Amino acid sequence: MSGYDRRMFLRGALATGIAGSVAGVAAGKAVAETSTTPEAGAPPIPPFHGPHQAGILAPARRRTIVAAFDVMADGRDDLADLLQTLTDRARALTSGGIPEQVGITAPSSDSGILGPDIPGGDLMLTVGVGASLFDDRYGLASRKPSRLTRMPTFPNDDLDPAWCHGDLSLQLEADDDDTLLHALRDIAKHTRGGMQVRWRMNGFSNPPRPTGTQRNLLGFKDGIANPDATKAAEMDRRVWASGKAPEPAWTAGGSYLVVRLIRMLVEFWDRVGLDEQEKMFGRAKDTGAPLDGAHEQDAPQYQNDPEGLVIPLDSHIRRANPRTPQTDDSRILRRGFNYDRGMDSVGNLDVGLIFTCYQQDLQRQFEATQKRLADEPLVDYISPFGGGYFFALPGVQDSSRSFGGFLKV
Amino acid sequence: MHVRRVSTVIASSLLFVAGCSNSGVKAAPAQPAADPSIQISTSHCGEGWAHPAAGSQTLSITNTGTTTADADVIGVPGGAVYGELEGVAPGVTRSLPITLGQGTYAIRCQPEDGALIVGPSVRVAGSAKSGPAAVPVTYNDLYGPTREYQDYVAGGVKTLLARTKTLVAAVDRKDLKAAKKAWLPAHLAYEKLGAAYDTFGDFGDAIDGLPQGLPKGVHDPDFAGFHRVEYGLWHGESAASLRSPADRLLKDVKGLKADLPNEDMEPGDLPLRAHEIMENTLQFELTEKADQGSGTSLATASANLDGTRQAVEVLRPLLKSRYTGLSQMDADLDRVQKLLDAQKHGDSWTSVAGLGTSDRESIDGAVGELLERLAPIASICYPRRTS
Ligand code: HEM
Repeated sequence: MSGYDRRMFLRGALATGIAGSVAGVAAGKAVAETSTTPEAGAPPIPPFHGPHQAGILAPARRRTIVAAFDVMADGRDDLADLLQTLTDRARALTSGGIPEQVGITAPSSDSGILGPDIPGGDLMLTVGVGASLFDDRYGLASRKPSRLTRMPTFPNDDLDPAWCHGDLSLQLEADDDDTLLHALRDIAKHTRGGMQVRWRMNGFSNPPRPTGTQRNLLGFKDGIANPDATKAAEMDRRVWASGKAPEPAWTAGGSYLVVRLIRMLVEFWDRVGLDEQEKMFGRAKDTGAPLDGAHEQDAPQYQNDPEGLVIPLDSHIRRANPRTPQTDDSRILRRGFNYDRGMDSVGNLDVGLIFTCYQQDLQRQFEATQKRLADEPLVDYISPFGGGYFFALPGVQDSSRSFGGFLKV
Repeated sequence: MHVRRVSTVIASSLLFVAGCSNSGVKAAPAQPAADPSIQISTSHCGEGWAHPAAGSQTLSITNTGTTTADADVIGVPGGAVYGELEGVAPGVTRSLPITLGQGTYAIRCQPEDGALIVGPSVRVAGSAKSGPAAVPVTYNDLYGPTREYQDYVAGGVKTLLARTKTLVAAVDRKDLKAAKKAWLPAHLAYEKLGAAYDTFGDFGDAIDGLPQGLPKGVHDPDFAGFHRVEYGLWHGESAASLRSPADRLLKDVKGLKADLPNEDMEPGDLPLRAHEIMENTLQFELTEKADQGSGTSLATASANLDGTRQAVEVLRPLLKSRYTGLSQMDADLDRVQKLLDAQKHGDSWTSVAGLGTSDRESIDGAVGELLERLAPIASICYPRRTS
């Protein structure tokens, strides 16, 4: 079926999980295919206030802007002002309403691109901090999330420094581009002197073709297998920082974010035979099912195929998640979007994946997975060129608090 | 002196006012019950404001007169303007979004060429805080500052002429090394005048025009002025071939100086100048679009900042009681100044391309923020009638 499952919708926004619930996968049985792309009947966006930032577990919206900022604030107090302003804008932009009227004392306070009464509940916003924010500029070294480092260069990378890292990360999500641009324009207007965009990528998630999980620009359903975001214990184990030593206590409720900007060489890919493509991923292109199954939510049964005759040992899904007890604690929560930024210098499409994933521990989860994927056959058709490691801050619990809480503790 | 910490963010209302479109729950509209339209006309100014209420609201205003009119909502007494509508045609109804707090207000009607009429005073009760207001600035208020600014320009043009002569003399005696040295001071003398967006009309293009938009670009016969000479000096052009663009520059600078007494600056332009000079800087200098080889865009930016300061300085007496962001704006001017000064090394400047990422972001960000705080000057000092 296409669109959100009505019953799941009634069970609450989180019930559909991120990119489709996969409750049945661990048990090895098929579950009903549900759409991963918000359409008519998409669950409402969760409120801004809460123990976690809304944009981590909630289903992806149709459009996104992922951006990193360099902070120029003059000292700790100014940084606190910046994070307070960012919080104020986030609160205002997510809740909507009529912009402040300034009479003859200033130009309009709002760009007006969403009309005179800004719709509420249309925007999701996730703020993270990079390792560089904890350098000597603001005296924050002792507060750094213990696992936060600068994103290293991996073997198949071709990183462009202009597209990497940043002191802050911001992901905006909405179903329409004007909502995103309105938000980014508003935030930039209020914070120009305190931070500047270092890099920014627009992304989109696709509608189901024809059903189930959205397809990426290589034509494969992407986002099928993910830890179950509806299971709190699972999220506590895999996604949320605990706030227990060696982590500073303030990190509780936050999560490590990896952003990888990965170009896809789609012309080259289209010149590869279907069978080879499917073997590279380990899944069927039409249904998204693992090559040993029938439906996209079927779990691959690697124990029945120890030599990889059906799902090759070096296929993407088998390397990414071998589904063994030893590798179980390296699972990540993926939340990818597609991007399109025009053409390259030889006339090819400049498109790809904004890969993002959340986890409790960068080394134990993302890096372990990435290491297993090194030199997989897919690497010839993709080229990671940017991104960064960030720590998505704990949620802003109520109207008296801000993203800057970690400066005060 | 107490030095105020520069806040690098723009203070804003913490929240948008609750509107009618919050997701899920339909909140009760923030608007008070819709009033019938308030009239503006010579005979019925302000009539029909039946249920004045506090809070964020949209007033409906109808011109029931026979001539086009402006309408203000003013505080009584004092005459601070809380909201205005300009050019409402006869028979037309327009909406005026406004936020009113407890107090006394009136509608002021300004028929196109008739006298001002203030309507009946209206009491608003309630706990909401009113939106910001300012006492209007009149044409009369702006004459003095405009004259002062013109004196500054006249003084600057004298310097410009003297330095341009030095530059042209160096080209004439084929001393291109000296010409290169003399080019920047002469160009900066022009940039300090605070010309932006057509200020000096045809002289502006002749003296400081860019090759963009010319069919043959840098080789176009109409490419003239400082940037034409700059292009030649920094691209190995011979003294002989530079002579004519240099002489033409001198002729145009003399022309500007001669023309200045005939050019009365429109007083309404001065408040615009306060942010437009630096808008120009951001668009053409910090992008290095204007640069023709000398790599002195940051020097130009610094000269533009001087011009901006001058515009702000002459307006300061009007702004003091009207602009609450003035001290933050001063801090921003200083911040930009400091960041630009740091790129000056003796007589030479870092080029924009030569800036490291963090220096470039700091300058762009500081200029961007300065612009946000200069822009209200144009709104506040826009010349308005009060009688
Ligand atoms: C352009 C680059 C990439 C493409 C096109 C891609 C595509 C896919 C596709 C089509 C699937 C199977 C469907 C699904 O379960 O969602 C998948 C699964 C997966 N991918 Fe990727 N992927 C890319 C990069 C990465 C990276 C960088 C990582 C992590 C380091 C990663 C980790 C995973 C994981 C963990 C799974 C699920 C495996 C499972 O649990 O069965 N992928 N990917």
